[in-house]
Amino acid sequence: MELSFLPRFPLALSQPILFGALLAAGLLAGEAINRYASLPRITGYALAGVALGPQVSGLLGADALQTLRVLIDLSLGLIVFELGFRLDFGWLRLNRWLLVTAIAESVFSFCAIYASLRYFEFGPLLAASAAAIGTGTSPAVVLLVAHELRAEGQITERMLLFTAVNSVIAYVALTLLLPFLHFEHEAAWQEALLHPLYLLGGSALLGVAACAAMLRLARWLGKREDRQFVLLVAMVVLTVGAARSLNLSVVIALVMLGMLSRNLDYRHALMPLRFGYGGQLFFVILFVLTGASLQFDALWTSGLVVGTFIVVRFLGKALAILLFGYPSGVRPGGAGLLAIALLPMSGLAVVMVHDTAALYPSFGKDLSSVVLSAVAVLELLGPLATQFALRRAGETDPGRHGA
Amino acid sequence: MPEAIPADEMQFKPSAHASIGIELELQLVRAHDLDLGRDVGDLLARLDKRKLPGAVKPEITESMIELNSGVHLRYASLRDELRVMRDAVVREAGVLNLRVSGGGSHPFHDWADRRIYPTERFRSILERYGFLAKQFTVFGQHIHVGCPGADAAVHLVHMMTRYVPHFIALSAASPFYQGEDTSFQSSRLTAVSAFPLAGHMPFVRDWAEFLEYYGKMRGFGIVASMKDFYWDIRPKPEYGTIEIRVCDTPLTVERAALLAAYAQALVAYHLAERPREPSRATYLVNAFNRFEASRYGCAGELVEPYERRKVKIGDDILSTIQTVMPHAVRLEAGDALAELAAGVRGGNSDAAWQRARYAEAGSLVDVVREASIAWAGGRDRR
Repeated sequence: MELSFLPRFPLALSQPILFGALLAAGLLAGEAINRYASLPRITGYALAGVALGPQVSGLLGADALQTLRVLIDLSLGLIVFELGFRLDFGWLRLNRWLLVTAIAESVFSFCAIYASLRYFEFGPLLAASAAAIGTGTSPAVVLLVAHELRAEGQITERMLLFTAVNSVIAYVALTLLLPFLHFEHEAAWQEALLHPLYLLGGSALLGVAACAAMLRLARWLGKREDRQFVLLVAMVVLTVGAARSLNLSVVIALVMLGMLSRNLDYRHALMPLRFGYGGQLFFVILFVLTGASLQFDALWTSGLVVGTFIVVRFLGKALAILLFGYPSGVRPGGAGLLAIALLPMSGLAVVMVHDTAALYPSFGKDLSSVVLSAVAVLELLGPLATQFALRRAGETDPGRHGA
Repeated sequence: MPEAIPADEMQFKPSAHASIGIELELQLVRAHDLDLGRDVGDLLARLDKRKLPGAVKPEITESMIELNSGVHLRYASLRDELRVMRDAVVREAGVLNLRVSGGGSHPFHDWADRRIYPTERFRSILERYGFLAKQFTVFGQHIHVGCPGADAAVHLVHMMTRYVPHFIALSAASPFYQGEDTSFQSSRLTAVSAFPLAGHMPFVRDWAEFLEYYGKMRGFGIVASMKDFYWDIRPKPEYGTIEIRVCDTPLTVERAALLAAYAQALVAYHLAERPREPSRATYLVNAFNRFEASRYGCAGELVEPYERRKVKIGDDILSTIQTVMPHAVRLEAGDALAELAAGVRGGNSDAAWQRARYAEAGSLVDVVREASIAWAGGRDRR
């Protein structure tokens, strides 16, 4: 007898099941690694992703990762929004060395990576693209480590600011390389030239429009934290969705939204931002999915390249901060810690590689073998580095949190 | 048998007649969410490299910084020096993405988030007093007035106690605490009252009698130095002053200087005319008067201990200002007292200003931002 109300086997893996299972797996792995190995929870989230991903168990195949891309975009969108919201032009104006240091830090690490990859005889375009992606620090890692340790102080503030700046520079640099990529693949000149313009201009415009709408709505809602929280989430999700539908950049649109909401809010309609526990969900899911996207195979074949990539990237950042950090108010001894705190690479780099790969898969494959191997190392070691730096800087709160 | 007291510590060093100097505890506020920051170490390091009049010091938690003025004979020079110090602190704080604010309390910080500034003394206070130490993240103004001798200092402490409600009402700037409207004009004093050695100096007749009391307290092991008394007004032998400690830090340096001018004129009046002798009655009514002033400000009532009648604190301030005005004029502070009196008549106070900003903007975040702009002399960061 057939009972029509019973489900049919095998069960369909619906998105909610996947989402919940990933959250739970990440959470448990994070807690376990923190409890038994005293490592940052983020490392556990990422390891859970590695274990579930195509590299190990294959529970999360490449196609699953593609369908879950919307979750990555949402999480990354929220995170870069928060980071943009911390970027205060007022501070940059009062402390002009700050912007100099932030830009120098990006430029130095770009040049260092580019030169070293050229030395290993990679093509100029590949070297430049990898260097552009390597310029950026992982916004998710620095924000989550800062949250978890309840870190606050000058090193923490600068780490967040520099991460915001180098993430934007990384994205813009990679986008400006697009014409060369198109030319190399013999695309029409219209496509080559208009693509970056559309991406950067369109994303920025989207951010501006979303910001104008949000400020207006916030004024109308009034200063109630609960309502403003819902508004914020609504606008961020809406902007992420719009950016995806319009083939624009989620990162640029959301950084713009965050940055402009902070700096154009002359009437102070928006209240300070607190995502609280809700934000945690997106961090966990982002790190699990990033972990599942990591590639380790190239690590063995080109370990020297990856190692050099990581080292020169760090040296570039450290040199810039050592040179310009002091006039910008970094205390003696703080420059090195700041450079260490900026080590992590994670989801943002993965997204940039994937977006490039979607255009020209063969180029993307070369790119990912270099960059994603470095990300694999820095995804796992980066959180440790940031945690070490903030603790050593004395900016964490040992009293309330043992993380 | 009183214990031997180190001779130099309690040696009262007479100072210039009615000279003034102040200490101001200030709030360090993070620019991005206007909660208290904890960057005093970095700020002090930057200020160290600048040539400043006066001194800049850490206070019990890392969210506080203290300005100490030099010694001044005239109110105007004190005010000008404070402006110079304020400008330097605001500028260096800006480089570190911090705002600086006056006010007796931060309206919405969470006391448990505070971290003790790492010195041995502050750590021992945390160990001894537990959460009281972190809750002591309140911001006061201390006014020093020079005394010609030790006995005069004891006399003046008794006489000035009569005016404690004046100073509370005139400086009141802590209506909000831990995110709530306390209904008080100054909520800060309740944080001070929790300490076992808060209160007032005992009713001693002269310095010799005071030394005897102090020796006993040391003998009991209750205090180790004068610093352990958290009194409303205490003699400060090493400076040769009495120190009035009940004021909230006002929202501007200008008002801080006005309060010092008032204290100076009162002391000058009592030294020159000696209109009254100390009375125990002052201390009988003190707790009541103090409460009225913290709760209602100038609208509260105080009990006049010599005449045994109730009078509105605001009215009492106005009549007192009239009485001491000749001395203020002699000290070139006549306009300062006139300004204070006008404020009392107009019903203005820093606490009222803070409440008005809250009513206008609808959020305590805005109150802090506006207060930091007021502190910077009306200039915003943008």
